[in-house]
Parts: sequence; structure tokens; C-alpha cells
Amino acid sequence: MNLIEWLQSSWLSHAIAKANHMLVASLQIVHVFGLILLLAPLLLIGLRVLGWAMRDQPLEHIVGQSRRLSLVGLLLSLTSGALMFFSAPLHYVANWAFDTKMTLLMAALVMYALLYAWKAEQIRTHAMLARVHIVSAITLWIMVSMAGRAIGFV
Amino acid sequence: MNTLMSLAQSIEQSAIGTAIAEGRYAFPIIEGIHLIGLALGVGLIFLIDLRLIGVFLPSVPVRVLHRQLQPYVFLGFGIVIVAGVLLLVSETSTVIVSPPWPFKAMFFVLASANALYFEFVIARRAGALPERGPLPKPVRYAGIASLALWALVIICGRLIPYIPHWT
Repeated sequence: MNLIEWLQSSWLSHAIAKANHMLVASLQIVHVFGLILLLAPLLLIGLRVLGWAMRDQPLEHIVGQSRRLSLVGLLLSLTSGALMFFSAPLHYVANWAFDTKMTLLMAALVMYALLYAWKAEQIRTHAMLARVHIVSAITLWIMVSMAGRAIGFV
Repeated sequence: MNTLMSLAQSIEQSAIGTAIAEGRYAFPIIEGIHLIGLALGVGLIFLIDLRLIGVFLPSVPVRVLHRQLQPYVFLGFGIVIVAGVLLLVSETSTVIVSPPWPFKAMFFVLASANALYFEFVIARRAGALPERGPLPKPVRYAGIASLALWALVIICGRLIPYIPHWT
């Protein structure tokens, strides 16, 4: 029996699938809040690094605080997403929008993790690289969200 | 209710309504855009609210955060509203009978009124607020109210497909 079939027959999968459909609705809501809390601070970092807003505010403060808040969003969306996946893994793996989303998610997670490598001083000295990095990270998360919205329609 | 329903059906049967409903990917793409606009518009409002409450960017003055983010908040709301209207036009008769919809509309009106109050009353006094550290209690409550009202708009919106009828 492969991993996905094993997951589908697991206790957790049955519990989520058989629970009231409002449980899945609640997970969907948490998933949306997670995305907002992840993306909005990244947009703020982007605006600051691109010099479009908050130019006179300390980079360390904006980037540090935003990274911390976005991590809360990331954890909320990953947890709620994983629980939704556990409710019907066989159904999800057969969905091409889900496959696309997972591939994009892996890339987005790598980009996200790399954001933590930047020190404020390096952002100043390698401004162009920092801009390309944050714009790619935001673009990838937008693509992840768009692919995610398509899951229910394909 | 019948007049409302026939009006809803005629909106839905308009050229744009049928184009979105019948296009294979139009609906999910517009939904995705609605979501991204939300992360920009409401997401940045959440950041300002968290600043008012005192848990985010405590050393950035409220007036700076508010003034600098304002154009992007407006851009985000422009996107959310245009995409939201298109979604509504494509399935008006399904959406208006769903119980969470009137609540979403009500919380949207309240959240907007709260935002206008912030814009025209609180933000104009923002120069008098302390630049750093905790803000006066009424200002913190305004942040909590905004956060709660926009959260309720999102919750009701996401519940529309899960609670399609009153009974």
C-alpha cells in the first residue's frame, strides 16, 4: 500500500472527512487568514526594499518585524492546508491544479527560507539582488494562491 | 423576493455574467484575483491595525505607516471590489440566497464606516499621537474593531459556498 493510500485510510483522514462539513469550511477560513498574514508582511518588505514606501524607516525594523509576522501566517496556512489534504489525499493527488500548487509551493518555501539569510546591511549593499529576491518570492506566493483557487474547479 | 430573484437572474444572464459562468477558467481566475487583492488591501489594513494595537512595528509612527501604505490599500480594494462584483454578477441568484451573504454585506458596510472614521477622525489627529510605544486606549480599540470587522467580512465570504440555503 502506498503512502497516499495509507494516509487516506488513517484515523486522522477519516476523522476530518467524516466530521461536519463546517470543519473543512473552518480550515478554509484559517487557510485564507494564513495567506493574508503571510503575504501582507512580504508586500511590506517588498515596498520597503523597492523603495516604494517607508523609505525613511529603518530597514532592520521593517524586515525583522515583517518576517516574524509572516511566519505566523505561513504556519497557519501550512497547518490548515495539511489538514485539508489529509481529509482526502487520493482526491488531491489526482488533481493537476494541486500538483502545480505543490511544485510552486516548494519553490516559494525555498525563496521564503532564503529571505531569512539577508542582513539589513547586505540588503543595502546588494540592493538589486534583494529586490529580485523579494519580487520573486511574492510572485511565487501569488502563483501558489492562484493554483490553490483552481483546485476546486478542475 | 420574487422581484429580487428575477432581477438577480437577469443580472446573471447578462453578457458578462454568462461569459464568466460559462468560461472554463474565468471564475477560478477571478476568485484568485479577489484573494490576492484581499491580501493587499485588507492585509495592509491588518498591518496598520496591528500597529494601532501595539504588536507590530512599534517604533514606526502611525501617521507614517498610514500615509505610506494608503495608495496600496486603495489599489488592493480596487482589485477586490472589481473582482468581487464580477463574481457576484456571474452567480447573483445563488449568492443572494446564501445566509452568510447579507452578513458579509453588513460587516462590509460597518468595516468601511470604521475605516472612514479612522481616515477622517483618528488619522487627522495622528500627529498628536505618541510616535513610539503604546497608543491611547480608544486608538487601540479602533484597531481591534477594524481587525474584527474585516475578519468577519472574510469569514462570511468564505462561508458562502458552504452554507448555500437558510434551511
